[in-house]
Amino acid sequence: MQQLQCIFLLSESSGEVMVEKQTTGHHVDRSICAWFWHQYNHHRNNDQMSVVTSPTHYLFPLIRHGIIFLACTQLELPPLLPIEFLSRFADILSDYLCAGSGAGATLNEDIVKDNFVIVYEVLDEMMDNGFPLTTEPNLLKDIVLPPNLVTKVLHAVTGNSSPSVGPTLPHAAASTVPWRSTHPKTTTNEVYVNLVEQLDASVNRDGNLRRCQVYGEIQVNSSLPGFPDLTLSFTNPSLLNDVRFHPCVRFRPWESSQVLSFVPPDGHFKLMTYRVKELKKIPIYVKPQLTSDSGNCRISALVGVRNDPGKTIDSIIVEFQLPPCITSADLTSNHGTVDILADKTCRWSIGQIPKDKLPSLSGNLVLEPGLDRLHVAPTFQVRFKIMGIAMSGLQIDKLDVKNMPANPYKGFRAQTQAGDYEFRS
Amino acid sequence: MAPPVSTPKSASPSQPSGKSEVTDLKLQLRHLAGSRAPGADDAKRDLFKRVISCMTVGIDVSPAFSEMVMCSATSDVVLKKMCYLYVGNYARCNPDLALLTINFLQKDCHDQDPTIRGLALRSLCSLRVQNLVEYLVAPLAAGLKDHSSYVRTVAAIGVLKLYHISATMCHDSDFPAALKALMLSDPDAQVVANCLYSLLEIWTQDAANSDEAAREIEALYGKSIIYYLLNRIKDFSEWAQCLVLDLVSKYIPSDNNEIFDMMNLLEDRLQHANGAVVLATIKVFLHLTMSMTDVHQQVYERIKAPLLTLVGAGSPEQSYAVLCHLHLLVMRAPMLFSSDYKHFYCQFSDPSYVKKLKLEMLTAIANESNTYEIVTELCEYAGNVDVPIAQESIRAVGKIALQQYDVNAIVDRLLQFLEMEKDYVTAETLVLVKDLLRKYPQWSHDCIAVVGNISSNSIQEPKAKAALIWMLGEYSQDMMDAPYVLESLVENWEEEHSPEVRLHLLTAVMKCFFKRAPETQKALGAALAAGLADNNQDVHDRALFYYRLLQYDVAVAERVVNPPKQAVSVFADTQSSEIKDRIFDEFNSLSVVYQKPSYLFTDKEHRGPFEFSEDLSNLAIGGDSGDDVIHSAQRYEENDKDLLLSTSDKEENGGPTHNGSSTYSAPSDVNSSTSLVSSSTTQPAAFAIDDLLGLGVLDTPVLPPPPALSLNAKPVLDPGTFQKKWGQLTVSSSQESTLSIQGVASLTAPQSLIKHMQNNSIQCIASGGQPPNYKFFFFAQKEGSSSFFLVECIVNTASAKAQIKIKADDASASDAFASLFQSALSNFGSS
Repeated sequence: MQQLQCIFLLSESSGEVMVEKQTTGHHVDRSICAWFWHQYNHHRNNDQMSVVTSPTHYLFPLIRHGIIFLACTQLELPPLLPIEFLSRFADILSDYLCAGSGAGATLNEDIVKDNFVIVYEVLDEMMDNGFPLTTEPNLLKDIVLPPNLVTKVLHAVTGNSSPSVGPTLPHAAASTVPWRSTHPKTTTNEVYVNLVEQLDASVNRDGNLRRCQVYGEIQVNSSLPGFPDLTLSFTNPSLLNDVRFHPCVRFRPWESSQVLSFVPPDGHFKLMTYRVKELKKIPIYVKPQLTSDSGNCRISALVGVRNDPGKTIDSIIVEFQLPPCITSADLTSNHGTVDILADKTCRWSIGQIPKDKLPSLSGNLVLEPGLDRLHVAPTFQVRFKIMGIAMSGLQIDKLDVKNMPANPYKGFRAQTQAGDYEFRS
Repeated sequence: MAPPVSTPKSASPSQPSGKSEVTDLKLQLRHLAGSRAPGADDAKRDLFKRVISCMTVGIDVSPAFSEMVMCSATSDVVLKKMCYLYVGNYARCNPDLALLTINFLQKDCHDQDPTIRGLALRSLCSLRVQNLVEYLVAPLAAGLKDHSSYVRTVAAIGVLKLYHISATMCHDSDFPAALKALMLSDPDAQVVANCLYSLLEIWTQDAANSDEAAREIEALYGKSIIYYLLNRIKDFSEWAQCLVLDLVSKYIPSDNNEIFDMMNLLEDRLQHANGAVVLATIKVFLHLTMSMTDVHQQVYERIKAPLLTLVGAGSPEQSYAVLCHLHLLVMRAPMLFSSDYKHFYCQFSDPSYVKKLKLEMLTAIANESNTYEIVTELCEYAGNVDVPIAQESIRAVGKIALQQYDVNAIVDRLLQFLEMEKDYVTAETLVLVKDLLRKYPQWSHDCIAVVGNISSNSIQEPKAKAALIWMLGEYSQDMMDAPYVLESLVENWEEEHSPEVRLHLLTAVMKCFFKRAPETQKALGAALAAGLADNNQDVHDRALFYYRLLQYDVAVAERVVNPPKQAVSVFADTQSSEIKDRIFDEFNSLSVVYQKPSYLFTDKEHRGPFEFSEDLSNLAIGGDSGDDVIHSAQRYEENDKDLLLSTSDKEENGGPTHNGSSTYSAPSDVNSSTSLVSSSTTQPAAFAIDDLLGLGVLDTPVLPPPPALSLNAKPVLDPGTFQKKWGQLTVSSSQESTLSIQGVASLTAPQSLIKHMQNNSIQCIASGGQPPNYKFFFFAQKEGSSSFFLVECIVNTASAKAQIKIKADDASASDAFASLFQSALSNFGSS
């Protein structure tokens, strides 16, 4: 049976149990958390597995924002079910608890502790008898109001009516599209489409591009009244290697003419994720060089733009791990700052590449006594952000909105950031 | 407010004011109980929140139960929810007090608001108190007919909860039939899914004891229901889709057209945003096309892209689980993935368990077209900061070389590794060069030249040292200083801690002696002397053996120790293909993540805790089940010990050699294997030892032929007596027996075996389990006597093994009965 027997929320820093939710008649003792916490700390520095076997249960840990979401079961089940469920749960909690506290706020221990009643309420609706039930944010919000609204309503109405539910219960049955609530809500009549791409690339020792691919997401923030019907088309859909859709996307139009036709949920959602493989061009390069001799290692690295994307490359950071056999390092750069962190990670924050010179880093590494040459080669990882362009070259052609009384405002954005972007030396 | 002064003894370090806090809360709750003041709800909310937070921290707040119930009369939904949560948590330990809550829960079940009705019903079913089940039936029946789909979804699961508390009550109220009707007619997909979920569990568990339930289960897997569900698949929530897809994967279509129709219908599920749905769909596809080889291959092509995206785009947790499935597929059909090798390149930021899987896949998919690229990539990892991965990469290069593609270039690469002068790289490479030489003796010249330059002092790793010594012995004719290197190694005999190395040293010196006798004689003498004085039995024996062999005839010794060798063509695979197939059958399950079929890592209690525990509680009508509790507690303890063992083991062997094995071995694995061994050795071992001691067959009295034992055809024993007897008697015989292939094939449901045993006058009193594991309790009675035989029989259809425990009133007849039982069991399926 596909059944999770218990869900715990632990603090990643202290192991404290913040939430315990038993879902079935089988009671899972919370001592399992202590066991897991011990294991977790024991392995923290090397590896974490996605499924952990305890003496009595299988544990599925998911770590987000300093919180360990831990699902326990004794039964064989599809491994992705608990993992997907927990990550959905984490997303929904973030949405619930952080939406009101301004942009950029993320979930943390304190927020969970302050709002544990909401956490219980949400979890109760998301799962019954260990089987996932309602995980659509829109539906959940009809059943359990987000905390900021609760408090708002509480202040407005002085506690004499039940604030967290309306008299009627909008539900999947009431609407043909379960992800869209039938509540008439005040809307601003606008829709934003955001292309977010993550560029993975690795370049080997000889400077050859070993592989390069893009994982992209189309994020939509819709705030449209009524029952809008949207069609999004691309100028070059043949670029896409593999696509996955939000349940709202109709499959047939995509099959026949590669357009996305859908009735959007309210608010933020991921319309589509896609993958583009075998890209040939990368926007930025690093040329590392290491030469070692009699206990010393000269290191130098150059960073430059290749295949200029036409937009500014921002927040460039180059990082590499100093091998354990290095006792001291003396590094300087002609642009940006160089820090060596406690775990021997060397971080070179460049920001933007200046017009007049190429940023370069150079310095000397002192090896452990007894070692003559450096045998291990550090990998240089690069992070950056490019606003206004999708590096895969995917372009949105147009967005049609039907079923609407007034023409809504439509906004488009694109951005690319580095994922696993690495240069070996 | 100031905390009230507490008695000093109540405070424990982790919960400083636990007890006083509870008393304080109780007091305040009592004040508010009857209050209808305007701010009362707010105050209650605060208090409830504190109670719940105490509960969460682990403080026992059950003493406040009655106060909480008194405060629960409220119209505030949040308050209600907190109260339900509290009640649900403590009702089981306070069954009497739980009765207090029934009243307000039942009242809430008739509330105007469907949310409240649903909530109340869910909480009511979650109380799980045996003697309150009668109060459940009416609200559940009403809930199933409620006009709000929300309440119906809750009620559908509620029936399952009721079933777990009291199966008879559930059946008496005819709930399964009602659920089935609802499943086939409800407009709301979630209601349908929940009904399906409950029915599956109820009937699967009943199937052991009731033919009707077994028929119903079959009907669920039948064409009409599968089609009904498939046609609505898009209406279901993603989780319900997983459930339905799992059901579909067990359906056997009648012809190929049906298969294609189903695949067309489900194809878009591969593009679902939820990875669990994608994997469930893939499982359906793979299973549907098992019999059609070319379509099966096309399916691989089709599922490749979604799997690769899932691996790359998901969170690390998701990506690992998917990668394991991909790993399974790659290992099954490496050639289909050979052009995708770049996807399996390791990223610096990948955790090392992911890198390990990727390395294995790279090794598997290497062929003529991509070997150069892959090996080039692997060689870069050898300089990796992560030592285990560097070692693993070198091993991978070696394995690819053994696969015979482009050996030339690879040998060069391996030899370059030796020049890197890093101890662990050298060690790992030496082992590989040894394997390579065993397969391609023609490379000996190049390899020996490089290996000869390696100083044996720089190698600590026993495996590598043994490899080097082996090469020194094997190729002593080509290595100028081989005898002298060996001699110096023999001189340091005392400092060599590994028996493996000492064994190899003995053999190498022998081989060297046959080729270059004059130079080696001294070393040989020293080695044999040291070997004879060695503490290790194996080393001692081998030295003695060589010594005597040499004394007997040197030529014979040479033929024995250094015969002409044939190149090894294939090295033994570690995982048998049968196991791989079984894991493949269990696609989309934990087996894949563990890379072990489930019968190897799930032990009894994990396989079906409900089935077996329910069994025992059914049995425990009159008798006490304390015995079983102790048993299981012990088992847990054993598990604990195993776990300790395996972790400490890991620390000791934390070094390179054991990094190959999975970091988290399922502890139950150890447990089950030992139990197998112990049960199978009990009796045969006794005979074997007799023989060894030379007592011979003549000395032992010939076993008297077992007295013919006839059994009462219609014995009567009620479960209570069975349980009592089972508790009192000791195990008189415990055996393992093998089932025939036909027997395993016909054991699709427990009934078949039960009927078969009935024909042999052995009655079943309880049974349970799911494929591949079944558990039966049988009993039989000796004809014309009151003595009973009780049997616990655990059958694993996967391994075709049955473990039998027999307890008998008359222990002297138990052997006869055991053989009777065994023969009945082994006849199963052939009649």
